[in-house]
Amino acid sequence: MPRIRPSTLIKASRDNPLLPLLLKECRTLESARNELRWLREHALRTSQTRTRQQPNPTTPLAEWKMHLLSMCRQRSRGYPLQYILGDQPFGDLEILCRPGVLIPRPDTESYVIQAAKLVEQMAMAEATPSERSSTDKDDPKPLRILDLCTGTGCITLLLHALLSPRFEHLRVMGIDISSKALSLARKNLDHNLQQGLLTHRASTDVQFHRADVLGLPTGGGGDDDADGIPNVEKILSEYFDQPGEMEMSEDLLAIDLEPGCDLLISNPPYISTSDFRNGTTARSVRLFEPKLALVPPPPRSQQFPTPTPTPTPTSAMGAVRPEDIFYRRILELSYKLRTKVTVLECGDIKQAERVIEMHNFMAPGQDRFQDHFDVQVWPNTEQDMAFYGFHHNDGSRSSDSSR
Amino acid sequence: MLQCGRFMRQPLRFSLQPFLRRTLHTDLGVSPVLLTRARLLAAEHAKLSNRLADSFDAKIAKRAGELAPSAAILKEWDNANESISELKALLEDPETDAELHTLATEDLETSREALPSLSDRLKKSLIPRHPFADLPCLVEIRPGAGGDEAGLFAYEMMRMYMTLCSRKGLRPTILKQDVEDGPSEDRLLEAVIEVEADGAYDILRTESGVHRVQRVPATETKGRTHTSAVSVMVLPSFPESGSASDNALNFDDPTSDYYIDPQEVRVEKMRAGGAGGQHVNKTESAIRLTHIPTNTVVSMQDERSQHANRRTAWQMLRAKIAEARQEAREQELVQLRRGAMGGVAKMGRGDKIRTYNYGQSRCTDHRSGITLHNLDDVLAGGDGLESVMESVRTWISDREVEAMVAEELAKAEEQEKKEKKEKGQNKK
Repeated sequence: MPRIRPSTLIKASRDNPLLPLLLKECRTLESARNELRWLREHALRTSQTRTRQQPNPTTPLAEWKMHLLSMCRQRSRGYPLQYILGDQPFGDLEILCRPGVLIPRPDTESYVIQAAKLVEQMAMAEATPSERSSTDKDDPKPLRILDLCTGTGCITLLLHALLSPRFEHLRVMGIDISSKALSLARKNLDHNLQQGLLTHRASTDVQFHRADVLGLPTGGGGDDDADGIPNVEKILSEYFDQPGEMEMSEDLLAIDLEPGCDLLISNPPYISTSDFRNGTTARSVRLFEPKLALVPPPPRSQQFPTPTPTPTPTSAMGAVRPEDIFYRRILELSYKLRTKVTVLECGDIKQAERVIEMHNFMAPGQDRFQDHFDVQVWPNTEQDMAFYGFHHNDGSRSSDSSR
Repeated sequence: MLQCGRFMRQPLRFSLQPFLRRTLHTDLGVSPVLLTRARLLAAEHAKLSNRLADSFDAKIAKRAGELAPSAAILKEWDNANESISELKALLEDPETDAELHTLATEDLETSREALPSLSDRLKKSLIPRHPFADLPCLVEIRPGAGGDEAGLFAYEMMRMYMTLCSRKGLRPTILKQDVEDGPSEDRLLEAVIEVEADGAYDILRTESGVHRVQRVPATETKGRTHTSAVSVMVLPSFPESGSASDNALNFDDPTSDYYIDPQEVRVEKMRAGGAGGQHVNKTESAIRLTHIPTNTVVSMQDERSQHANRRTAWQMLRAKIAEARQEAREQELVQLRRGAMGGVAKMGRGDKIRTYNYGQSRCTDHRSGITLHNLDDVLAGGDGLESVMESVRTWISDREVEAMVAEELAKAEEQEKKEKKEKGQNKK
């Protein structure tokens, strides 16, 4: 992290004595000024509502200034702005943020919007003009979307907001392991319904469930994990109500089977333990955001190398890196659900390449149907952020959409 | 016009005959070229109405709606003229008895009095409607020459427009407010107000131009009066895509005049390199758009969401480019008219349009020439400001009528020349 120049500090303190505090975390004067403005607006708003509730004429002016000062102090210690203000805009939605749940990032926002466009385009392409009117009105088969590791529920809710005008039947499910995250996700659903940012349909179309994505199906009696967390596959099989088909079967190789899920999207924990410590991960993130949402847990002895239902043995594709374990599991689920589009957020371009490799290795019947898979990497130019998706039913191998 | 007015005020003092001949000649203020134009429009309106009676078509209905006021006023004007000529005939008739004669004289007088306002309305109805007149608008305020003082006054102007708009119920919001470095919040670098009400562009377009302030600034220590300038731009704000059914203003349509090719716009997110995604939690949301062919730059950082900043930035870029294109088109027209008008008829955005003088507590608009000695009310966005704006609106429509006459005249002349040429060729 480059040092802040003393001249900048002097200039900042001349502007406003609170700016140097914010500068510690923001690093540039411009962003510090913006944050100060947002914090001041927040302080004024809260003090206004407070005085309206219980008028306190003695110290109305000093109160918000004290509040602002304490918020700036918090911020200078690296405490995330979104936790201080309590929310973060995401698309057109307002997502509440609470400590213990990962804050939505703008990168995520941009690829969610792109994914929604992709789904719309695919639906347009599938329905020929004569059929389109009938699919819109009569066809009861909903568009099914699954969001794994949903956190605040931001992806789930934004997808509903973006796609509900186009699709009359829509079912979106968000899954997370953390009960804190789930209760916040449900709160976000209510909050955005109240604000009128989501249509009333969302209350029935959107569901949040607690499940362990990494958890493997335990055979026989115990459906639940040792911690009492339901297994993801059980939830999914109930949700997509096709219990028999959840098992890996020969049917899967038949391409004419109806896909079970239209879009599987996920922003799983993907930071390696070394990246978490070596400075790649910002201090504010490391100290104040939940590690559960950032770093995948160390592989449990029962998980690897126990034989999985996948026909590909782990050894053949090389050991899965600990930071990639979520991708492996999510890809597995996506094959089982016969997902049309899978969108995954990755930490960097190398990780994205590893995921593509994993996919090429794991994809069922890849030698027969290779042409039916389409892999795209959507890099976020400045940060080398890479996202990757593939289509099952797309015959053409479209070129990279990146610039 | 002037000549007629003089006659109006002292009617019937002369013998009737020469007076009548003269009034008929000037046709009470509507020049023949305008009259032919009005007749053409009315004929078109009649034709369109007939077609609408048979079958409905949204496009035709819209055009007919635009023409309806001109046609209606022309009819009224015709009626008035007709009754005047009938009355005159009555007066000229030697068999009319004395009682009827006085009645007719009175009637003639009232009809004549009504005529100028009718002609005025007729002329105004002929002015083609501004393409952006129905749109909401963005008001961009930037300090010009004058340093700190200009920034201070720009802030006051922003407040002035905010109060004016909220008083009139036009729903203003501040989209952007960049302040200068310094301890105070009241030195603007740039501000953009969005006025959401439909038709706000038409109301506020009188404000585009350079506003000059003369006063002893708060920063002055020796009591000298300074002159500084603030430039105001009123830009059209286009509706969100999809809702626009009007193809001419639909910026998503590549054939539209106001279409911007996304390929020609460079988008810059002001973010440092390094790891992104879950690794960092940057709150910087600034975005900068550059339209490469015209080198128009818009940057936004006010909102916490990059998504929202991007949308506002696009809205402003679109507004700026549409205004520039419209201006270019008007400039072309001015070039065409220049020969006929013998000068520049348009005040550009670079022209000084208004002076606010604190020492004399006056506000003068240099276009309409109006001077108000109630500066406080003007700066508070009160009725004073509105009356200034109203006077400018009248001035603008007068200029537009003049330009229209000049244009029609030029057209008629050209037509004549052509005909002469053809005749000459035929003779040969």
